[in-house]
Amino acid sequence: MTKRLSLGLTASALALFVALPALAEDLRIFGWSGEMPDEVLADFEKETGIKVTFDTFDSNESLIAKLDAGGSGYDLVNPSQYAVQILAKHGKLAELDHSKITTYDQVGPTFKEVSYDPGNKYSLPYVWGTTGLAYNKTCVDQPITSWKSLFDEKYKGRIYMLDNMLAAYIVGLQVNGFSANSSDPAEIEKATETLIGQKPVLAGYNSTNFADLVSSGEACIVESWSSSVLQAIADNPDVVYVLPEEGGTMWIDGYSILTDAPNPDAAYKFLSYILRPEVAAKTTELTKTATVVPASKALLPKEIAENAAVFPDDATIKNADFILDLGDAMKLYQDGWTKVKAAQ
Amino acid sequence: MRRERREQLQTGLMLAPSVLLLAVFVLIPICVVFAYSFALRDPYGAVLPGFTFDNYRDLFQGVYLQIFVNSFYLAGMTTALCLLIGYPVAYFIAFKAGRAAPALLLLLLIPFWINFLIRISAWVVLLGRGGLINQGLLLSGLIDVPVGMLGTVGATLVGMVYAFLPVTVFPIYAALTPIDRRLLEAGADLGAGPAETFFRITLPLSLPGVLAAALFVFVPSMGVFAIPVLLGGGKEIILGNLIVQLFLEFRNIPAGSAVSILLLVLSGFGILLYMRALRRVEAMK
Amino acid sequence: MTPHRAMPNWFVRRFVYGISGWVTLLSYLFMLLPIVVLLAFAFNAGKSTVVWTGFSLKWFEKVVTNRNIIQALQVSLIVAVASAALSTMIGAAAAVAITRRAFPGRDILSAALAAPLVLPEIVLSVALLVFMSFAGVTLGYTTMIIGHILISIPFATLIVRAAASSLDVRLENAAADLGANEWQTFYMVTLPQLMPSILTAFILSATLSFDNLVMSTFTSGVGTTTLPLRIYSMLKLGITPEINALGALMVLANVTILLLVMSRYLPLILKTNRR
Repeated sequence: MTKRLSLGLTASALALFVALPALAEDLRIFGWSGEMPDEVLADFEKETGIKVTFDTFDSNESLIAKLDAGGSGYDLVNPSQYAVQILAKHGKLAELDHSKITTYDQVGPTFKEVSYDPGNKYSLPYVWGTTGLAYNKTCVDQPITSWKSLFDEKYKGRIYMLDNMLAAYIVGLQVNGFSANSSDPAEIEKATETLIGQKPVLAGYNSTNFADLVSSGEACIVESWSSSVLQAIADNPDVVYVLPEEGGTMWIDGYSILTDAPNPDAAYKFLSYILRPEVAAKTTELTKTATVVPASKALLPKEIAENAAVFPDDATIKNADFILDLGDAMKLYQDGWTKVKAAQ
Repeated sequence: MRRERREQLQTGLMLAPSVLLLAVFVLIPICVVFAYSFALRDPYGAVLPGFTFDNYRDLFQGVYLQIFVNSFYLAGMTTALCLLIGYPVAYFIAFKAGRAAPALLLLLLIPFWINFLIRISAWVVLLGRGGLINQGLLLSGLIDVPVGMLGTVGATLVGMVYAFLPVTVFPIYAALTPIDRRLLEAGADLGAGPAETFFRITLPLSLPGVLAAALFVFVPSMGVFAIPVLLGGGKEIILGNLIVQLFLEFRNIPAGSAVSILLLVLSGFGILLYMRALRRVEAMK
Repeated sequence: MTPHRAMPNWFVRRFVYGISGWVTLLSYLFMLLPIVVLLAFAFNAGKSTVVWTGFSLKWFEKVVTNRNIIQALQVSLIVAVASAALSTMIGAAAAVAITRRAFPGRDILSAALAAPLVLPEIVLSVALLVFMSFAGVTLGYTTMIIGHILISIPFATLIVRAAASSLDVRLENAAADLGANEWQTFYMVTLPQLMPSILTAFILSATLSFDNLVMSTFTSGVGTTTLPLRIYSMLKLGITPEINALGALMVLANVTILLLVMSRYLPLILKTNRR
């Protein structure tokens, strides 16, 4: 018994260390949780024989922190617009070779000239959505249209804000009439005060299960990413998502190849695969998130293709801000956010 | 002589792995964190060479002070509640449960067989407006509208006590079991009232266990971060949340390092207090 | 003295024991109620974890066919077994040396081995992450296993130490008198006596690793998303009975392991005690 056990322990420990090096035809992706359906990954594996490892993160900041820590071992990462700028500045992202993305012409023209990365040099946009408001109809007496409702005493203890600095500042800035992309110290200061003043009516900050909270009626109004709440809307017709009249913001999550990617060829194959209209349609159908492939819209069921929460109209999009890298102003946001979080 | 040399060699071999492990993966990392806590940074999170006390000076600004107050309050309340509840439980298991004692101890560990996050999410559901507790209260007629419990300090405390109660019971139980029952009976025989017996015999003898429990609850509870976020709504953050925010959200490694060092010093202080109190208790015997 | 005795006994029984009995009962309700509710709703037919709509096993089916969960489970098992095995070996060696041998710095080492118990886990994790990136190590299994060893080694050492300090030295002397050499004595007399504690240390270490979130958050790398990390991202998509079913399967697995171990481990204890 003793001998077998100690042998077993040693052998299992050794076997594990030996088995660690990865295989050659592997693709390692670090992406947002909930934005890439397992079915798409499985189909890709079946077609190409490339084994996909898909690990998830839940904020751009934790993505950057992990990549900054050094050789991450990933091939593809999935940063949002300002994170693309920061990572490119850090030299983490490889320049994309568009000739290797066989389906590149499927990308909608507006997404080829995004301000944070003109010409898709470092990042191939894939899914996009907005940051706005979600509310539960059974809990409010009239449709919610403005960020101001997040400050309404009436809903005290039933309001949640996203637990994310830049997301919270969208509300703090826009409700004061400023741009969500402000780098003016006075405006940021004012937004900080606004957010501190909001704290007593809040039930909390939450970027984990807020969709669940608003769906169950625990929360009446929440600040929300469109992609996170659309599944809850599909399950519960009482949940509504709107972009507030102050504008809200639009975000784009794209794929970038890392400079130290072990297998860039597999990464290009993957990018070419996901831009196919039928694959993009499948992604939208399963995650309720719009992709940058216009041709996929025709393949979608009506209730998704005509859902304004998935595909907002052009005027609404024009009104929304677009969060970019804030450079040195980032420190002002960070100091302010610490104040907000520490306030009583 | 040869035998002695061989024994030394064996001892060395037995100790080498643990000494190496502690030196390379605990001591050196802590030194690196200590060094980083005096470093400068650029706004994108890269650490720049240099030397500054700013990271520590920032800690004593008003903003951080509030977070310390929150941390001490939450850790203190958690410890007090755990001891208040855990002591009678340990007492019951040690003196009253008889042959059921091992089963009771095992039962206390069952929640730990389920993942920590699933346990917390069970509380999210229970404490919710549609949850079992509200349903029960509505049914009993005590309330007319569901009470909002999530996003309050109370909810955080429920989660904290839930997480730390077993950690409290075990050391107290371990200190209570060796107490000689004849001592207690002798006290009663000599005319000591039950309160006197308890306060003059049982409690002093079990104090080392109580102190250990307090240490095991107080120190780790300052570093917790998931419970205040998921149950307390993340409105009152504690040192654990601050460290996560500084490292993962702001990528401010120097400031995060400074807070970590501070938490380390606080923990060391807690351990020192514990050891002094323990010595005093043992001198009393 | 007799009149005094009747009173305190009655009083003690009624109030001191009485209070402790009630507190114990309520505490166990508090500890176990969430689990019972959780397990019950794993069998719910609907998508709610609050409203009961009927009996169904579909959430269990969903869990066992979820490839993300299966992968995360594999990772968690690998990390748990490897870190527990290493932690137990390193800890047991140190424990035996500390209890059986005299060497300079013994007190310091035994304190240092217990240190991770009271160091906030988050500081330890952060320190390790900072150090690993400073040293240019790629995050992955190796970093995570090292991290988990740090979490479990105080427990492994303490458990084996307790057993080693209560060993009967006369048995070893007797073996030596009968002509066994040092290695034979250790292997055939000392080790079997320590085996129950080594097993306990292994199981506890594996459990701690399996449940770990904080250390894993900081040390995970490519393809090393553990079950707790996966559950965390599942919670984002809402608390469905799938989470409950996963919890129920965890209890089932733990009970099975416990019974398996008990059936092997009990005879071992009995044998040891008979000596």
